[in-house]
Amino acid sequence: MINKVKDILQGKIIKWEEKSSKRHYIEIDKKDLRSAAELLFRKLELRFCIATGLDNVKNMEVLYHFSDDKTGVVYSLRVFTDRDKGKIPSIADIIKGATWIEREMRELLGIEFTGAADTSRLLLDPTWPEGVYPLRKDYEYGRKEPRGEDSCRRPNIKIEELTKNGKKTKIIPIGPYHPLQEEPEFFELMVQGEKVIDLNINLGYNHRGIEKIAEGKHWDQVTFLVERICGICSCSHPYAYVNAVEDLLGLEIPLRAKYVRTVIAELERIHSHLLWLGLAGHFLGYNTVWMWAWKYRETVLDLCEQISGNRNHYAMMRIGGVRKDIFNSEIDGMKEKAASLVPILDLFKGAVIDDPVIHARTKNIGVLSKEEAINYCVTGPTARPSGLDQDIRKIDILNGAYQLIEWDVIVCQNGDIFDKTVCRVLEMYESVKIITQCLDKLKGLKEGNIWEEVREIPPGEGIGRYEAPRGEVWHYVRSDGGNTPVRHKIRAPSYMNVLSNELAAVGGDVSDAAITLAAVDPCYCCTERMQAVENGNVKYNWEELLRLSEEKTKRLRGELK
Amino acid sequence: MNKLKILSKSIWVFHFASAACNNCDIEILDVLTPRFDVERFGVKLVGSIKHADAMLVSGMMNRKGAEFLKDLYDQAPKPLAVIAFGSCASSMGMFKVSYNRVIPVDEIIPVTAYIPGCPPRPEAIIDGIVKVVKKLRGEI
Repeated sequence: MINKVKDILQGKIIKWEEKSSKRHYIEIDKKDLRSAAELLFRKLELRFCIATGLDNVKNMEVLYHFSDDKTGVVYSLRVFTDRDKGKIPSIADIIKGATWIEREMRELLGIEFTGAADTSRLLLDPTWPEGVYPLRKDYEYGRKEPRGEDSCRRPNIKIEELTKNGKKTKIIPIGPYHPLQEEPEFFELMVQGEKVIDLNINLGYNHRGIEKIAEGKHWDQVTFLVERICGICSCSHPYAYVNAVEDLLGLEIPLRAKYVRTVIAELERIHSHLLWLGLAGHFLGYNTVWMWAWKYRETVLDLCEQISGNRNHYAMMRIGGVRKDIFNSEIDGMKEKAASLVPILDLFKGAVIDDPVIHARTKNIGVLSKEEAINYCVTGPTARPSGLDQDIRKIDILNGAYQLIEWDVIVCQNGDIFDKTVCRVLEMYESVKIITQCLDKLKGLKEGNIWEEVREIPPGEGIGRYEAPRGEVWHYVRSDGGNTPVRHKIRAPSYMNVLSNELAAVGGDVSDAAITLAAVDPCYCCTERMQAVENGNVKYNWEELLRLSEEKTKRLRGELK
Repeated sequence: MNKLKILSKSIWVFHFASAACNNCDIEILDVLTPRFDVERFGVKLVGSIKHADAMLVSGMMNRKGAEFLKDLYDQAPKPLAVIAFGSCASSMGMFKVSYNRVIPVDEIIPVTAYIPGCPPRPEAIIDGIVKVVKKLRGEI
């Protein structure tokens, strides 16, 4: 593949930098960017991961990362542009998944993308001053901008928009503060009768500026910061971050630490999938599934607490290893607890997968085809049900035990909600398998050797990835040899997955919207708040939508009897 | 007679998350599920602030969210117990240097109780509920 990339980019390469066998940085001229990106994405079928924008003070730099999902090699196209009024050709029309990141770089770094269709703000509010770019180096750490009156007003829904194709169209806003979403997001569903005809996604309600905060924290402190990106992926983000720093250092951690990392990361996957399953049941009107799933989730949280001392934010990762060891004397008890999960998973498999009503509610609903999954660059349990065989754990985790034990990647074919559910349930079995094997191996190892001493981080750059419960987590760090990262780019899986909703939800029923938007697992957290506005009058609120969904289940249940 | 006493038998809670990491939010749901089951005390999550006796606020307030909090508080029938849930809501935590921050929750609306922790343990949450009940009854 490396030679293929070299061949296909012939004449365009200014500098080829091989950091390691799995990390290649290719400097090209920005006028070649569009053709190079198209060749890598379409011809070689590499997956576009994300783009990283950097302020080098003397100029601006953008890295476009492409991943080969068969071998785990990352090719990064590097382009430079002027700092002031720098322009880079947009690739969003070639790669749909690049739409948001271009908007983000435009508002946070001030890089213009020529030819981009959508240049509106993604994360910052409308009253953020023009020409102030928080991720630039001259924006002081800890600075704050004055806030205008309307900083959090919803975009005004215009009455004239309410007729489309001669038919009366209504807008149902879902959000911004809403259980369906990992981060508070704001979906506007445009509906004609019961059919969803368009979906508009607004982001930024959960923007906390973590990438900027990381630039002011010590390398060791950043692990705790990235843990707080998401409470449910609170092991995946630090895992990807330490992978990135270890990639920069070229460090391999002790064997025991690899097993401990794997155990805690897989426990997190089980508790996250159970959480999703329970709430998916809730949205379909099966509240019993919710209560049962969450009841048994406690077993997993107990195990996490036993290992790390906390139920959710584990603080297990450190650069060079793990912070806490698993005691060999406790391993038998842990294995028993892990084994006790299998009959519970059987129960859910039976309850969810063999149920005709769930079949009727989820089969062929919210379908994401393979082509679209590739085009939207989705990852994890949103991509695998669509037939994409990609799992970062198999290909690109040096400092984990995934290559040392036996397990399978679950791939389904239909891309509908049913397959997404099946995929997650079966993945939990794999996780139990992984945990049991790791605990067995740990028992044969001596306690104690769990981290390498890391004194300083030399100048350089590193990319770390991990397969979070929701998909690929991506971290990029750059060091200048100092105490803090110069740039820390983070991409959570939902960033890619949520955009695919604009495809999956359109064409479906309103009553299916709840489960469709939820199927990419932007986790549900708070109690719900949603209102539908029809000429200023409230039509549906969230409870109403939930009721519609539950009624549909009831109706189907009656029909199937 | 203390009119608030009547609320203490069944506190209906509205949950508001502004730029939280979700962990507080799942722990809130967690205490409703079988192991901790705060419905024993009549606690129930509701979908509208107009039905609520208490509001749980989690997360650091960001620029897009802070105004919603003020609006919701104004819409709520008073008296309303406001609970700042978790370190971020109590003190902004590690996000006090973020460029997207606003001001802490207790400078936007009056806060009745704080439940610290990152995230607060379910036991701490139940302890917080008990304290709010006592406060409503005028016992503390």
